Amino acid sequence: MKLLDIIRDANANLLRNKLRSFLTILAIFIGSFSIISTSAIQAGVNDFIDQQVDSYGGEGYLAVVSKDSFDALEGLTGAMGNGNSAPIEYKEDKIQDGMTPITNEQLDKIKKIDGIDGDSLVEQKTLNISYVSSKKTDKKYLIGAEALPPGNIKVETTTGGQLDLQGDEYQIQLEKKYVDVLGYTEDNIIGEKIQLVVVDQFKHTQKTFNVKVVGVIAPGVVSMGYSYVNNKTADDIYTENTKYYPAEYKDRTVAVAVNYDYENHSAKEIKDKLEDIGLSAMTIDDIIGSIKTFFDIILTVFKIFGFIALLAAAIGIINTLFMSVQERTREIGLDKALGMSSARVFLSFSIEAISLGFWGSVFGITVSMTLGNIANNIFHAEGGFLESFPSFNLATYTIKDIIIVTVLIMFISFLAGTLPARRAASKNPIDALRYE
Amino acid sequence: MSKTLISARSLRKSYGKRNSKFEALRGVTLNIHEGESVAIIGKSGSGKSTLMHLLALLDKPTRGEITLNGHPTARLHARKLNAIRNKKFGFVFQSFFMNANDTVLNNVILPLKIAGVGYRERHRRAISALKTVDLDDKRNNKASDLSGGQKQRVCIARAIVNDPKVIFADEPTGNLDSATGDKIINLLFKLNHEKGITLIIVTHDQDLANKCQRQISIKDGRIVSDSSADVEQDDDGDEEIREIVAESEEDDDDDDATPDKFEGDNNIDGMLDQKHPVRHINIEEDEEDL
Repeated sequence: MKLLDIIRDANANLLRNKLRSFLTILAIFIGSFSIISTSAIQAGVNDFIDQQVDSYGGEGYLAVVSKDSFDALEGLTGAMGNGNSAPIEYKEDKIQDGMTPITNEQLDKIKKIDGIDGDSLVEQKTLNISYVSSKKTDKKYLIGAEALPPGNIKVETTTGGQLDLQGDEYQIQLEKKYVDVLGYTEDNIIGEKIQLVVVDQFKHTQKTFNVKVVGVIAPGVVSMGYSYVNNKTADDIYTENTKYYPAEYKDRTVAVAVNYDYENHSAKEIKDKLEDIGLSAMTIDDIIGSIKTFFDIILTVFKIFGFIALLAAAIGIINTLFMSVQERTREIGLDKALGMSSARVFLSFSIEAISLGFWGSVFGITVSMTLGNIANNIFHAEGGFLESFPSFNLATYTIKDIIIVTVLIMFISFLAGTLPARRAASKNPIDALRYE
Repeated sequence: MSKTLISARSLRKSYGKRNSKFEALRGVTLNIHEGESVAIIGKSGSGKSTLMHLLALLDKPTRGEITLNGHPTARLHARKLNAIRNKKFGFVFQSFFMNANDTVLNNVILPLKIAGVGYRERHRRAISALKTVDLDDKRNNKASDLSGGQKQRVCIARAIVNDPKVIFADEPTGNLDSATGDKIINLLFKLNHEKGITLIIVTHDQDLANKCQRQISIKDGRIVSDSSADVEQDDDGDEEIREIVAESEEDDDDDDATPDKFEGDNNIDGMLDQKHPVRHINIEEDEEDL
C-alpha cells in the first residue's frame, strides 16, 4: 500500500467521525495555541530587550562605582524598600549624596585590568540642565540629558542619525516627547538648534548652550527618558555645573562606564578583578536582566500550562484512537485478510494520530498568529499600551518556533498513537472478522 | 487430472490451553486441484471454517503442513503470506465485510490499494471486475445502499479484482434468500468455468454443495466423506505425500531457499503457476486418529 494512500485514508477516517476528531483536535489546539503564543511573546520580548541592550552599549558595557557607593545604594534601597538592611552610618568624608568617589589611583587600575578596554572609559557625569527651550516657543521645559555611554553604540532613532561624539559642535539626540512642545515636527527638527540653559542656583548666573538636534530617539525602556549629547556638550555643561564647586569636588568621579571584552572574559571574572580594587560593577544583564527574568518566569508558567494541555490532549488522542480501533475491528480484520501487513496497519493508525496532532497545531498556530497580529496592531495604535514603543512587537513568530512546535506536537501525537496502533496491528484477521 | 494446488497434510488445530483446550481439527489431509470446485460441508462447530482459514493461510495449524504447489508454507515470512493472500486468493464472506460508508468502487479497489497498484490501473481493474458481476452502474453508490445480493456481488467483484487463482467463500449464500443465493452461486461457477478459478466453498447448505464437483464432509474436526471419484483410503498416504513434497522441493529449491525474504511477484506467481510433476492423491484420513 502506498504511503500517499495511507495518509489519504487516515484523514478520511478522521472525517468519518467528525465531532470526535474535532474535539480531539480542539484539545491539541489549546496546547499548541498556548505554546506557540508564549514562544511568540518570548521572542517579541527578547527581540526588544536585545534592541535595548544594543542601544545601551551592547554586551560589553560595565557601569562601575566604588564598592562603598554600591553598598550605600543597596542599603538605601533596602532601608526604604524592604527594611531588612541596617541604616547607613553617616561619614564625614562623604558628600551628602552618600556616594564614595572613585580615586584616580583606582581609575588607573581599571584601565590596566586584563579584558577591559581602557580607552573606552568614560567618567559618568551627571549633567544638571535647568531647562530646554527653542526659538519657536516661550515655554521652558525640564530635561534630562547625559553623555552617550562608551562602546560602539547605535541609538535607535525615529528620524535623523548618530552623534558626532568627538566633534566640536554641540549636538543632541532628543527624546521624542520634546519635539512637539518645542514647536517642531519630526520632519523639520533635524539640524535645528535648541537651547539648553544652565542656571546656577546660588549665584543666579545663567548660561545658554545652542545645541544642534541630530536625531530623535525612538522610545525604549533603557534610555528612561534621557536625551543624549556628545562629549563636547557634556564636558562644557559639566564645567558650568561645577564652576563654583570647591576644587576637591570638581574632579570627583562617582561612576565610570567602560567596555570589556565579553567574548573572551566572563562578566564574573571582570567583576571579581574590580572588586579586588574596591569597585563594584554592573553589566547590562544586571541592569535590565530583571525585566527579562520577570517575563521569562511568567512565560514559563504559561508554557507549562500549554504542556499540561498537550498532555491532556495526548490522552484524548489515545482515547479517540482506541475507540476507533474498536469500531473498526472488522475492517482491520478484512484489511489483514486481504494482505495488509501489521506494520501497515500500525502505520495507518500512527498517521491518524500524527494527522490529529498536525491539524491541532496548524489551527493553534494560525489562530495564535491571527490574534497576535491583531494584538500588535491594537497595542501600537493610538492609546494602545505600546504606542510609544513602535519597535516592540509583543508577539513575534519565527519560522523556527513554528516548525519546532508543529514537529513537537506531531511527535507527542505519534507517541500517544502507538498504544492504539499497536493494538490494531496485533489483531488477528480471523478473530477480527468473527467480531460482530 | 489437473495438478494439485493446495495440499494439506495431517492438519490439527486447537484453541485454548490445557483444560479449556478445544480441538477444532483433528488431523485432516486433502489435496485440492487447480480448477476444482470444492464444497466443505459440515454443521456449525464441525471445523469447516477453521479448515478454510488454514487453507487460505489466514491462520497457522497447530500441527501438520500446508503446501502450495508443493511449497511448504509453514516457514514463509508474514510478508510473503500477505502477498499470496493479496494477489492469489479472493475472499467472499457470509456477512460481506464491506466498508458500508465507502463507495462500491472503493470497496472493490481495496485489495489493489493494499497491493500498491496505481490509481488509474486499480480503477480500470475495479470497473472491469464490477462489469463481470453486472454492477458497473452502481460503482459510485454507497455500499450500504445496496441489497444483500448486490452486496455479495460487490464482494465477488472484490474477490476477483486481483485476478486470483483461488476463491475462498465462507457461507456465501448464508445471508441471502434462495433466488438471490442461486444467482451468486451461478456467478461463482461461471468464474470457475470461464476463468478456471478454483472454488473452495464452506457451507452447510446441501443444495449448494451438490452443485460443486466435489463435496467434503467434516464432522468433529475430521473428514467423514469425500465425493471425489479418486478417493483412496490409502494407508501409505503419508509416505506418498512425503514423496510429493520431496519432488516439488527438488523442483524449486531456489524458490524456497530464502523463505524469509519476499522477492516480489514473480516468486509468488512461481508458487502457484509452476508446473509440477505431482502425483495425484486426493484425500487421506489421518491414520493416527482413526
